[in-house]
Parts: sequence; C-alpha cells; structure tokens
Amino acid sequence: MPDNVITVSNLNKSFGKVRAVVELGFAVRGNTCFGFLGPNGAGKTTVMKMLYGKCLRDGNGDTVVDVFGYDPAKNELAIKSLSGVVQQEDNLDDELNVIQNLWIYSKFYGLEKTAAKEQIDYLLDFLELSAKAKSRIRELSGGMKRRLVIARALMNNPRLLILDEPTTGLDPQVRHLIWDKLHQLKKRGTTILLTTHYMEEAFQICDEVLIMHKGRKIMSDKPQNLLKQNVEQYVLEVTGSYSSSLLNSQELLQNVRIERAEEMTRLYSNDTEKLRSFAGRLRGAQYYLRQANLEDVFLKATGRGLDDKQ
Amino acid sequence: MTSSDILKIPPLWHRLYSVWFRHVRVYTKNMFSNALPPFLEPLLFLLGVGLGLSRYVTQTMEGLSYIEFLGTGLLMTSAMFTASFECTFGTFIRLEFDKVYDGMLAAPITANNLIIGEILWAGTKGFFFSFAVLCILTAFKIVSLPYSLFVPLIGFITGVMFATLALLVTSFVKTINHFNFYFTGLLSPMFFFSGVVFPITNLPGKIRPIAEVLPLTHSVRLARAICTNSYSVSLLGDLLYVIIFILVVGFFAVRRLRRRLVN
Repeated sequence: MPDNVITVSNLNKSFGKVRAVVELGFAVRGNTCFGFLGPNGAGKTTVMKMLYGKCLRDGNGDTVVDVFGYDPAKNELAIKSLSGVVQQEDNLDDELNVIQNLWIYSKFYGLEKTAAKEQIDYLLDFLELSAKAKSRIRELSGGMKRRLVIARALMNNPRLLILDEPTTGLDPQVRHLIWDKLHQLKKRGTTILLTTHYMEEAFQICDEVLIMHKGRKIMSDKPQNLLKQNVEQYVLEVTGSYSSSLLNSQELLQNVRIERAEEMTRLYSNDTEKLRSFAGRLRGAQYYLRQANLEDVFLKATGRGLDDKQ
Repeated sequence: MTSSDILKIPPLWHRLYSVWFRHVRVYTKNMFSNALPPFLEPLLFLLGVGLGLSRYVTQTMEGLSYIEFLGTGLLMTSAMFTASFECTFGTFIRLEFDKVYDGMLAAPITANNLIIGEILWAGTKGFFFSFAVLCILTAFKIVSLPYSLFVPLIGFITGVMFATLALLVTSFVKTINHFNFYFTGLLSPMFFFSGVVFPITNLPGKIRPIAEVLPLTHSVRLARAICTNSYSVSLLGDLLYVIIFILVVGFFAVRRLRRRLVN
C-alpha cells in the first residue's frame, strides 16, 4: 500500500458568515485518483485551493493539512513545485500562442532552456496538440484550450495533479481523451485529485470518491461501495406527472422506495422483477428501467432541490 | 514522508525574473502597436508646443527655454502614466477578467513574488517610455548627451513608485470604472502641478506645499538635474522622498493586494 500523499483533518474555511468548508477530513493514497463530488457551491474548489496555498484555511489549532509532508500555510512553494494545477477557468494568455504559453510556465518552474524545449515538445505530443503549436489561443476550441491547460500543469512532471472540473463543458471525444490521459498519468505514478459533477467521470477514473455537500463530507468510499451501500440496484423512472393508485399499492411495492418529482417518479429496488412487473401495469406512461448509478447516490445524499449557493 | 531531495524550487531572483519575463513576453508580442506610441506621443507633444505655443513663451523657466523645461518634464510623465496604466487597468484585468494570476499562483511563485514582479515590470516600462521620450528630445537637440543617458534610470524609479501607488489603489477597486477617479482625480492634476508644464515656484504660497507632497514633483526635479547636469544638495531630499515613498506605499500595496490574490 503506498503512503498517503495528502492527509487532511478538521479543515475549516469561512468567507464572512458563510461556512464554505466544515470539519473536513480525508486522506489520499499515493498513485491513486481521488474525486470530490458535490453540487455547485459545495466547497470543492475551496478545498483544492487550500491544498496549494491559493486560499487560506481558518486558523484552528488542531487542523492538519499535509501534502507530501508539507503544510501549505508554511511551505506553499514546496507543494507547488511538486504539483500541477488545472483550474476551472482556462486562464491562458490570449496574446501568446500555444508554445509561448508553455514557454512562460517553463520559466516559472525554473526549467533550463533545453530541458524546457524537450518537455514542451513532449507535452504537446502527449496531449495531441503538436499540430497547434503555433496557433493563437483564440483559434483553439474549448477542448484544445483545456488540453493546453493540462499540458501546462504537467510542465514540472508533477507527482500530484489537481484538476478542478477538468471536463466541464467538453464534448464526449475530448472527455474520453482526457480520461485516457489521466489513466496513463496514474499508471506512471502520478496521484490525481479532481472535482467533478459528472458521476460517470468519478466512476470511470476515481479509486475513491468523497461526496461533499454544503462544505461537509457526506460520504467517502470506493465508487462501487458507495453504490452498493447507499442505493438500490435498479431504478424505474416513470415520466410525466404520473399519479396512480398503483403507487399506493402496498403489495406491489413492498421494498420499493419511491421518489416523486413534478415530472418524474422514480422507484428504487433491488428486485428487478418487481419493478418490471410494475412497469407492465403502467398503461400509456413512458418508463425506463435501468441500473442505479452514482448519480442516484449523489442525488440521494445531497437532495434534489437547489439551495441558494447553486 | 519528505522529499526535499527532489525539490526544485527556483530561487527568489528567478521567481521574480519569471514574472517579469511573462510580462515582457506578452508586451513584446505586439511590438508595433506597443512600442510605437511611446515615441509618437512626445513627438506630437513637442511638435504642437514647439510649432505653436513656444513662440509665445519667451521667458526662461528655471534657466531653461520652455521647450527644454517641458521636454525634461515629459520624460517623467510618460513613465508615470505607463506604470499607472499597467498597474491599474492591466493588473485589474489580469486579476479579475483573464484570471492570469490564478494560473501563475499554481506555479512555485508566492503572491508577494508576483506583486513585486509586477512592480519591477512597471519600472521597466517606465525606463522604456522615458527612454523613448529621450530619443525624441535628443533628435530635436532639446537635451544633450551623454549626461541625459542616465535619465531612464529615474524613469525606472518613477515607474516603480507609481506602480506601488497604482497597486494600492487597485487593491481597493471593485469595478474597473473606479480607476477613472484615480486618473482624473490624482494623475491629471499631478501632470499640471508638479513642475512639468510650469515651475512650482510660480504657485501661490498656500498651494506650494501640496506640490511638494506630490511624488511626480520629485521625479521631475531628479530628471531635470540629470539632463542639465546641474546638481544640488536638495536633490538628496528628492531621492529620499522617492525611496521612502516606494518602501512605505509598496509595503501596504503588497499587503493589501496579497489578500485579493490569496483569500
């Protein structure tokens, strides 16, 4: 078992009266991918920022934040030199072209000229941007910009890669390409920390997932375990404002959990036959029977309604 | 688990240099549109004044012809304005709109490094802009070489000084339009009342102390002394003012702006 690369306990952060992160604790093992799931405003980004010193945590005496043995409050430079960060916005220099954007960052990391050139060539190739080396940033698609930001974050061959919603707003091809690259990086020993809204993403690439809501940890485990332990195996989704006496039938719906929204009724159960036979009795209503996924866990944990931060 | 054996943290000078380098790289990317105006502006100014106004101004000012007096003043106002633009609008855009600083702060650079790199870059622009004015002044034989070659150094110091003030202002500003108050409220008056267009000895006795407080006054005196190669002991006071201004205002600017970068 590799050692923990990140250890955090009793982490708090307030912005004025708003408590963005509340008594959070987690540990990330080396060479794994750790995912933060949570609605907008859950505090995921704030946690990432506190790890590399972009955000200051509240001063509690018993808070521990340890990244590679360093505390970001005292040794941010050490942590930054061992990490790469992909932020939510594509904060590239629009005035410069692709290669110049990377060139500037090679200076930030103190790379020698020849080493920098090699590394830039390698990164352009790794993220399939070689053909765009001389392009201006404005000419790049959203997916290319994202890949360039990732390339930039890999300039120092980081041992820890922090990604804040790396695939939000991207098309499926680019998303899969990025997942593929992250898998490759993990194979080479990079520890990956990411935040995402995409359950599929968390399921595909994370070894462990932490679900956050309103600054607090709701649950944390391997994605498969979260599924097994927190939600029924199957879901029957009935579309439309369906209300029928069938839903009140105790006999038909024993061990079935029902969730009602305005335009959708969901029935959860481990017994697929029971759901199927129920579906058979629905005359005229549209329905869809599927396996439960992480999204169901997530919605169950964080609720379907929006709060004022979302 | 510590890993100090493989840590590669660039030394302080390199961190400051890399921030400075970033700005140079972005600025020189549009060489034509960025480097031409600093030469054109003093040229237009001198043509306008030289062809029009100066024949009506026959008195000497502090022993200089009007065009000499004004020209040596412009060396410093150009440094003042470029540093001020860079560290108000420029800094604010990088901070709030382009989010350039967010990316930079993920690299091994502290917020302090970043802000000081910013100030050094504004100083460099002050150097370059006063050098551009110097080229024009020399071409028109308004100032003479070689003494005046040192004046871009005062341009650098003036750039640094106004960068610290601009960054302090920026640390308070919530929307970019607020900078208009700074430019019309402070910099424009400074242009007129710091001994650039007329000697401050001509100001009414009650207003004169105010002119002495304005930072540009001291830059202009230093620049004029270099151009005319005539030094006096009182210049040490001007130099001291500039140094103390940079240290004090710079201290508060870094402290306040850091809180906007790392919150």
